[in-house]
Amino acid sequence: MITARVDGVIVSTVCHPSMVGHRMIICQPLDPEGREEGEPILALDPYAAGQHQRVLISTDGSHTREHVKDSKSPLRNIILGIIDDDDLEAGH
Amino acid sequence: MRLGYVIGRVTLSQQDPALKGGRFLLVQPFSRAQFAGAAMTPLAKGNSLVVYDNLGAGVGHIIGFTEGAEATAPFAQPTPVDAYNTAMVDEIFFKPPSA
Repeated sequence: MITARVDGVIVSTVCHPSMVGHRMIICQPLDPEGREEGEPILALDPYAAGQHQRVLISTDGSHTREHVKDSKSPLRNIILGIIDDDDLEAGH
Repeated sequence: MRLGYVIGRVTLSQQDPALKGGRFLLVQPFSRAQFAGAAMTPLAKGNSLVVYDNLGAGVGHIIGFTEGAEATAPFAQPTPVDAYNTAMVDEIFFKPPSA
């Protein structure tokens, strides 16, 4: 699981059938200090996360396949929740 | 899943029978600049890769591709595929917070 910031959304009409009807957002992964880390990735968004909100992403495909009810779905990243607050204690 | 720009095609004369029905695209993954709308020339940093495609994307299109174990999930039999074209992208709305 990783934390990320919602930076945008994509629109696609020709796509794998398991993606139809699902919102796909562009997420910028963040490091524990909240800095940008790596290139943006795409994730399925069942919770309708807002722009620039921080989210928790699962990179486990089996949960995503269950969510889209398609055992042959190639989707992997999915939002698990929207982050209100996290604490990073000094020295850790 | 990542976004990428189709920069070419790969054609095979002899191929694994499991790959029948698909095509192969040469794809350059997006960096942050490309998400924000920067041109693809010069090419973004990062290595290009070959993506299996059965949606019909062509050179110049933007696609969303899946890598790793999930790339083989849509196939009925175990198939040696590293990257799979999941979506052809029509529009991208990208607006990172201005620092």
